[in-house]
Parts: sequence; structure tokens; C-alpha cells
Amino acid sequence: MARTKEVTIVTHRDIFQEQEKAKDRYTQEYQDLSALIVLDRSDMKLIGAEDGDMVLVENEWGSVVVKAKLSDEEDAHSGIAFMPNSPWSNQVVSGDTGGSGIPDFKKVVAKVSSAEGDVISLKGLAEQMRV
Amino acid sequence: MSICTGCSLLCDDIEVELKGEGIGTTKNLCRKGQGHYESLGVERLAPSVDGAEVSLDDAISKAAKVLSEAEKPLLFGWGNSTLEAQIVGIELAKKLGAVIDDTSSFCQGYLMEKVLNGVYPTCTLDDVRNLADVLIYWGSDPSSSHPRHMSRFSYFPRGDKKRQRGYEEDRTAIVVDVRVSPTVEIAKSGFFKVLPGKDPEFIDALVTALSGKIPKVEDKKKMLGLGTTLKKAEYGVIFPGLGLIYSLKDEIDRLDPLVAKLNEVSEYKVIPMVGHYNMRGFNQTLLDETGYINRVSFKDGVEHGPQFAITEFLEECDAVMVIGSDPASALPATIAKKLAKVPTIAIDPHHNMTTELAKVTIPSAISGLETGGSALRMDGLKIEFEPVVESGYLSDAEILARIKEAI
Amino acid sequence: MVSVMEVYQLLPKTNCKKCGYPSCMAFAVALLGREVKIEDCTPLVEESKYEKKLENLSELLAPLLSADATETGMVIHPEKCYGCGNCVVACPVNVANDPKGTALGKGPTNEKAILIVEDGVVKCVNVDECRRFGPEKILCNACIATCPSKAIEFI
Repeated sequence: MARTKEVTIVTHRDIFQEQEKAKDRYTQEYQDLSALIVLDRSDMKLIGAEDGDMVLVENEWGSVVVKAKLSDEEDAHSGIAFMPNSPWSNQVVSGDTGGSGIPDFKKVVAKVSSAEGDVISLKGLAEQMRV
Repeated sequence: MSICTGCSLLCDDIEVELKGEGIGTTKNLCRKGQGHYESLGVERLAPSVDGAEVSLDDAISKAAKVLSEAEKPLLFGWGNSTLEAQIVGIELAKKLGAVIDDTSSFCQGYLMEKVLNGVYPTCTLDDVRNLADVLIYWGSDPSSSHPRHMSRFSYFPRGDKKRQRGYEEDRTAIVVDVRVSPTVEIAKSGFFKVLPGKDPEFIDALVTALSGKIPKVEDKKKMLGLGTTLKKAEYGVIFPGLGLIYSLKDEIDRLDPLVAKLNEVSEYKVIPMVGHYNMRGFNQTLLDETGYINRVSFKDGVEHGPQFAITEFLEECDAVMVIGSDPASALPATIAKKLAKVPTIAIDPHHNMTTELAKVTIPSAISGLETGGSALRMDGLKIEFEPVVESGYLSDAEILARIKEAI
Repeated sequence: MVSVMEVYQLLPKTNCKKCGYPSCMAFAVALLGREVKIEDCTPLVEESKYEKKLENLSELLAPLLSADATETGMVIHPEKCYGCGNCVVACPVNVANDPKGTALGKGPTNEKAILIVEDGVVKCVNVDECRRFGPEKILCNACIATCPSKAIEFI
């Protein structure tokens, strides 16, 4: 059974992703810049993933396979992970806003584990919504 | 010279060479603006109904039909439309007795309300450049979201009369964030790390420090130092980003004591870090019209409340019109998928996840590039722009006017 | 930043003077200053005993040689640049040459700026005006200290 680590994901903006999003969201470039999660070194080690490996991010709201990136922060941040704000990260953001109308985009609690498989395309994500 | 509508800075010194269907060399655009201008050459949305391409007129007729037959329609988007279009949009919502909401609803809304209602003092970005000596980037990372914010206005440029000695002497940047963002990289000495959910504690500690008392934090010296720095400001400005907004959510009142205290000990303004080029324009326009900045229902007079926020109202609405926005991508998937369950009309220059789920698609002109109009910059300054290229696409204002007429 | 010592260690270190320089150390300095190319050290290229050194030296200098480097050692990595304009506005030469333009945060209003933003990223023009070069050079680091992504470096 794959080892999992529970993390709180904070989504954020990334300029290269913003540029590609402004230009064309259907490119491989946009997918590569969006479908990723930055993990602390010890969290990566725990789940047995290396920089560039595929990982599964899942919780009660959904799941998504993205690429793991090793954090280059000096200070360790085990238990906190970062993802660019995108339709991929939105697969696991809670749909319960507590009536405030504001989703918890920067407090996404999910389990991360090593995974096989590919990142789903943007079109694929849209297809999933039609079901 | 062209004005970039890529974000709410509305940079007005853009030089662009046109080349065929797209663009050639550009000057003064940041990366985000460059992407925005390059989108001119990207495949455009075509008019369609139920997946089949139709004439523009047919698509507009169908859209009007869907909306007029709905009992609880929702009109959403607005931040990427001109002021002129937003006015027509609000009229359309009134005519339909619809709910109207914009992206501020799950973004800067609660803060924008405080600023537009005069609860938090504010100023223009030009005031910032000319007067500000302390800048607080709280939960915002302008390097990644508004790249020219710090070079055009808030940190690096000189002022016209004051602040002429350069940023190292004249300005202090404080960055409050959960990580070492790219903005932290250029203002390391002013960095305060605040873990997720800990902003209220940080606010309380800072208010305590500003009151000359010992704050309840681990690094008391650092917090007291911050208090001293902030007190010495001649003119401070806070730029709250989504990092702070999402931390406080609907408890934005928790920021009140800090804004009040800062204005007791010195002079501090607040400018929300708005994303879309004209989100503030919509909030101001709707405020002037109804007394509210978003989440309004015109079904029975004017009503307002979180129940009319898109995240909540998608559950009960029976038709949605989305203009210049992509909620299918921007909202949590479990909420976004509700867009597939109701007839959706998408008005946009390009394809996106929302247009993929839409029953009716209507192509629109890219504001600022293909059509002119006016907008409110993130600080409320009205900026007017002209198009730089001719295209056959209708502006948002024209499309909305035609839909309104057909109802 | 590649150091002279790193480059020197990958040269023959014989001071044979075939390159025209008095010593391998001098050649190393010239190489970093882009006054000569690796191939100008003929023994390094021709003698098989230096094959590994040649390979390593080529790899070491690859980023420098591939980047948008000017003759005077300012290296720009456009793929890292955000187009934020911080360097354009903070550069003291830009401020002096364009007091009503870049000094006030605007795009350049004349042709005298040495850092400009084109196609969304920074570009260096008129670099001989940069204060780090020439007989009265100073250790100015305005464009490096203000960059959020280390897109500019001096070698």
C-alpha cells in the first residue's frame, strides 16, 4: 500500500502560468505549469517520490494526478504544499464554503501519495464535469 | 500606444506592432500582458448552439430565449468587460429579474466593499508613487500577479516631488506571506512568515505592538520592530492579496482594528489587489446602482446576500450567462460541474472550460485590443482605451444590448 | 557564477602560450570575458589527454555561452524574466538618462535606456553605459538585487 502524507495545500499564482493562461489554456505548456504540487523534502521522502514523479492528490472532494516538485524553500515546511491555482488544483478544493460564498482555495487538506498514470488534459477535466 | 487590459494596472505605455492575425514586437508589456496580447492569434470561439456552429444572430436569439424562459437566471462574469458593457448587463439583469454576481464574490469582494464604502481609507496608485514610504504586501505577490506594480507605482519608481532618492532610501517594503514568494526575494529584510490560518493572530499581535505593549508571539523583538517601522511611516499603504482575503474570508472585520490603529499612529491607505482589469468597475457600478457590490438579486426589488453568490446560487439557478469569465476552471470542481447541469450561455473571445460546457456560445471582441471602452483601475482611476486592431467581433456591450433587445 | 579558478582547473595549466596569453590563468580570465573561445586553446582541443577537461569545460561554460550575454559580461536569462521592469526602473543609468521616463516608473521615453522590456522580457541595449564596466567601474547591483527571479547576472 502506498504511503500517504496529509498536507494542507496553498494555491497561488505563478507568472509563467499566468502568461500561458492569458494566451492559450489548451497548451501542453499550460498543463505542465499548472498540474504540479511543490512538496517539502521530508514529505517527498516519506511518500517515496522524487522530483518529477507523478503523485496522486486526493480527499473527499476529488482526486487528481499531478507532477511532484521538490521545494526549494530554505525552511522546511512539512505538512504544507503548494500548487498553482488551476482547474487541476480545483479538483480537490472543498465545495463547501460554509455559506460565505468563498471556497478555501488556500486551505486544501488532502492526502498525497506516489502514483502511476498521466496528468489528465484540460479537455479531459471538462469531460469529467459533464458526467 | 495601447492600454493593456491583462490586469487591473491598465498599463498605458504599451507599444505593439501588428503582424497578420497576431502581434509582432511589443514594448513595456510584462509576461502576463505579453500572453494577453498574444492571445489575439489564438483560435477564437465560434457562435454555437448545442455544439453545432450557427450564425451569430441565431446564437444571440437562442441566448435571449434561454434567459427569458428561465425563472432563476444567473448573470456572471463582468470583470473583463468595459464599464459600458457592465451598465447594459445590469439593465439586462433587472429586466430578467435575474441574480447578478461577479468574480469578486469569491475573490476581493469583502475587502472591496470596505474600500468602496469608505470604511477603509484608500488612495490612487499615483499617490502611492508620489507619497508612500511604507508598503505592506499582505498575502499578495505582485511579482507573480501584477508584475509592474512595484516598478510603476509601489516600490521602485521615484515620485514627482517627494520620494526622489530611490527605493533604498525612501521606501520600506513589508511582505507578509506563507512562503518565500518571488516578491519576498526582492524584499527579504521585510519578510514576515505567517502560516496558513494564522493571520488573525498576526493582526492581533501587530495591533498590540502598535499600542506599545508586548505581543504574544515567539519573536517579540521582530514584531515590536515592525510596530516601530510602521509607526514611523509618513504615508503607508497596504495591498491585501488573496492570501489574506482567503485567510479571513467573511470575517474581514478582523482587519478593522489594525487599519484603525495604523491610522491612529500614522496615515495608512488600503488598495485591494484586484485581478481582472475591470472588476473594480463592476463593483463600483453595481454599488452606485443598488447599494451592493456583488451578489444581487433583482427578482423582488433589490436583494443581496451570500445566497446569491455563484458558489451557492448555482445550486438553484435554472440558466446561467457567463461573460468574459471561466468559472468552470476557477471554481472548485464539485461546484463548477453544476454549470453542466443547467443551460449555460458563454460569451468570450476564446475557448475555455466554461465554453466547453455551454449550450450557447457567443464570440466577443477582446477589450482593449479589438474594442474600446473604459474601466476602473485597481485604485479606482477611470481609464479610457481605444482598440488597436479591427476585427469582426462584437463588443460585450453590443452583444448584451442585442440580447436585451431580443428578450 | 563561474569563477576564474573553476575555469583554470579545466585548462592544461602548462602556460605554453600557444593562445597568445602569458599564462593559462590569463587565458581563463579572457575566456570568462568572452575575449577568446575554448577552441583558442589548441592543445585542449587537439590532445586526447585533455578530452575530459574539454568536455567538462564546455559543460561548465555552456550556460554562459548560450545566454543572451553581452561582450561586457552582463548575462540575461530571458526564460527566467518576469517582465516586471524592476531593473529598468531601478537602474541608476536609466534613472540618469531618462529622468521623466523610467525614473518615474514608465517605459523608456528616449533611446538612452540600457535595460528595456521587449516581448514581455528584459533586454539589454547600450550596455557600455553600465557602471560596472569601463575604467571607473563600480560594483552596482541594482538590476540584480531588484530581480525576483535572478534573470540577470554578471560574470
